[in-house]
Amino acid sequence: MSISKLRRWGLILASLGILGILVLQALVFFWVPTEATQGIIQMIFYVHVPAAIVGLYVAFGILALTSVLYLWLGDDKLDQAGVAAAEGGMVFTTVVLLTGPLWGKIAWGTYWTWDPRLTLTLLLWFIYLGYFLVRASTQNPERGKRFAAVVGIVGALDIPLIHMSVLWFRSLHPGPVVMKPGSPTLAPQMLTTFMVGMFSFILLFLGLFALRFALEIASRTAATRARAAQT
Amino acid sequence: MSYLRQIYAIVWKDLLLELRTRERIVAMLAFAVLAGVLFNYSLDRTIVRPQDVAAGLVWMTIVFGGLLGIGRTFQLEAQDGAFQGVLTSPAPKDAVFLGKTLANFVLLYFVALLVVAVFMLFFSLELGGSPGVLALTLALGALGFVALGTLFSAVSSGTHMGETLLPILIFPLLVPMIIYGVSATSRLLAGRPVSEIAGNLRMLGAFATLGVGAGAFLFRYVVED
Repeated sequence: MSISKLRRWGLILASLGILGILVLQALVFFWVPTEATQGIIQMIFYVHVPAAIVGLYVAFGILALTSVLYLWLGDDKLDQAGVAAAEGGMVFTTVVLLTGPLWGKIAWGTYWTWDPRLTLTLLLWFIYLGYFLVRASTQNPERGKRFAAVVGIVGALDIPLIHMSVLWFRSLHPGPVVMKPGSPTLAPQMLTTFMVGMFSFILLFLGLFALRFALEIASRTAATRARAAQT
Repeated sequence: MSYLRQIYAIVWKDLLLELRTRERIVAMLAFAVLAGVLFNYSLDRTIVRPQDVAAGLVWMTIVFGGLLGIGRTFQLEAQDGAFQGVLTSPAPKDAVFLGKTLANFVLLYFVALLVVAVFMLFFSLELGGSPGVLALTLALGALGFVALGTLFSAVSSGTHMGETLLPILIFPLLVPMIIYGVSATSRLLAGRPVSEIAGNLRMLGAFATLGVGAGAFLFRYVVED
């Protein structure tokens, strides 16, 4: 796909995502019923959970996949896609880490607790950070790309173990209400609102991913040209 | 030369180098003992009994002290391009990694046992009923730690941030080791039956396998240039 095509798709998807988020806000404020026990603070769920699914699963999944493929095939495009996914993932994970404590303060009475999902999200944020730090601190860009891919792969391999260990440590976090065996235990209106949120966040992520991917390709082409012009 | 002999050659070279310079082992051992001294004064004995937090202190000392030594795995050989010589030897990259990891393991395991001994002395700990299982717990945790440590030490020494980058890369990955290692150690020190920590040992084993396997496979991508 050419840069202009990527950019066009990125703009379309991101705009749809933003539009979806506006619709989501309208639904949250005017339409969806307030949850019986938690009250108004439960509404943060419609932002928090989609952001978590995008940041933790979609973005990290792409990062892990592109890291493996980059080391295997050595195609620069794969590394560029990895950077785009990691940056998007870090943004969405930051959203999760900011919205979670707001809810936790009221629902649990504390901003932070050592619950498995919280811990895993925080650690994942630091794995993203490591991914960018190794890249930024290597003079040889080719080496930086390989280092970053190694960080991505080892992170992906270790995450199941981290997950098991923190789960074993203890659990407070509300269990799944949508993706679980049997039918969802969510009121239909809530499920609709959640699905709107889910699709908007995925569209927004894919849009940002495409835009960032296009930018990365363009900036590297520019850097190569600048080097060629110098010599 | 067979694969095992190549690994052995690397292990022997690294240990001999360490025996002659004694740089890393002295740093790690001194760190462990001094950390014990500082821990002693950082605990108010009228509020906390040192025995209750000893397992955590042991593991954190191993991690911090270990990073001192493991972070410098490639330091000495970086001078005069000596490591390039190791890489151009006929030994495959995974043999180099396994050799380096084993040599680091010998050093770190020695430090770990000494940490336990020193902390027993400082905090009047009892070893519990099964010192053999305690030694196994430390060995499995240490193996996973040195494997990831060796891999990421190669990464961080290839960056201009150097050793300062190592904790950022490796601490998030060490959570399983700390959780299973500390809980097994504190139960063993409290004299609980070994059957209680069988699951912990299995998970530490899985962690070590993951570290060694991932390192052996990925090391070639870190050192190729």
